[in-house]
Amino acid sequence: MIGTETSTRANRTVGISEMIVERDTDNVIVTYSLGSCLGVAVFDPVARVGGMIHCMLPLSKIDPAKAQAMPAMFVDTGIPTLLQACFDLGADSKRLRLSVAGAGSPLDDNHVFNIGDRNLAVLRKILWKNSLLIAAEDTGGSEPRTLYLEMKTGEVYLKARGDRRAL
Amino acid sequence: MGLQVLIVDDSSLTRRVIEKTLRMTKIQIDGIRHAANGREALVELRSSPCDLVFSDINMPEMNGIEFLDAKNADPKLSGIPVVVISTDSSEGRAEQLKARHVTAFVGKPFTPEMVEKVMSNALEARV
Repeated sequence: MIGTETSTRANRTVGISEMIVERDTDNVIVTYSLGSCLGVAVFDPVARVGGMIHCMLPLSKIDPAKAQAMPAMFVDTGIPTLLQACFDLGADSKRLRLSVAGAGSPLDDNHVFNIGDRNLAVLRKILWKNSLLIAAEDTGGSEPRTLYLEMKTGEVYLKARGDRRAL
Repeated sequence: MGLQVLIVDDSSLTRRVIEKTLRMTKIQIDGIRHAANGREALVELRSSPCDLVFSDINMPEMNGIEFLDAKNADPKLSGIPVVVISTDSSEGRAEQLKARHVTAFVGKPFTPEMVEKVMSNALEARV
């Protein structure tokens, strides 16, 4: 699901391979259980545009048809889609604050697949090409994370094993 | 008024990567100059004012340690903060840099966020 909203509604959940982008709402956008998946929250405090994505895999070349239908599944298609949706609602890249969570290795202690690391590497490559910096990051390790974005304030935080941490 | 920054590294690619990183930050920068070694860096510093230097260590002609010694010995240049960016993060090297009052150290490979953070910290410390 890709949602872009401009109306004020209740709290909203970003599912796996989904993204949400909103403008001028008081919602709390949340995505659960970020393991090796990558969660990115973005917010422009002037345009009051914010969004979140939950990407599973780094590269769309393994299934272009799925990437076409669900671009948020892959980092290389999802992140550009997220950024473009924010720009379409009036966000400015110079004001955009990016927070990143997840990209861990919860079921891969020996780092055989390195999905989390690869997700983060592809994200960094896309951000570098677009001259965007990561403002805050809580990645790696084995703990599952839940990422929150308060649209009213732009505050981003996560919960992991009962702890709440600001991002 | 924005900052004047000097990047010292014998790799032109690394200099361009550092320059792009600096321009990605929200810190206002008016000018970025390049030098390929310590000797060129000293010429640049003596030719016009500079607020912050990013320097490699292992360079031909005059390496980063020799550059720091020459800079610190010059009263007109000794106050300019230097951030060292290098692959050499050994304990012995760290001691050498500390003795020469280096503002911060960034290990290679670095992320743009690492460079932004040390730059912000260096500027805060200067104020």
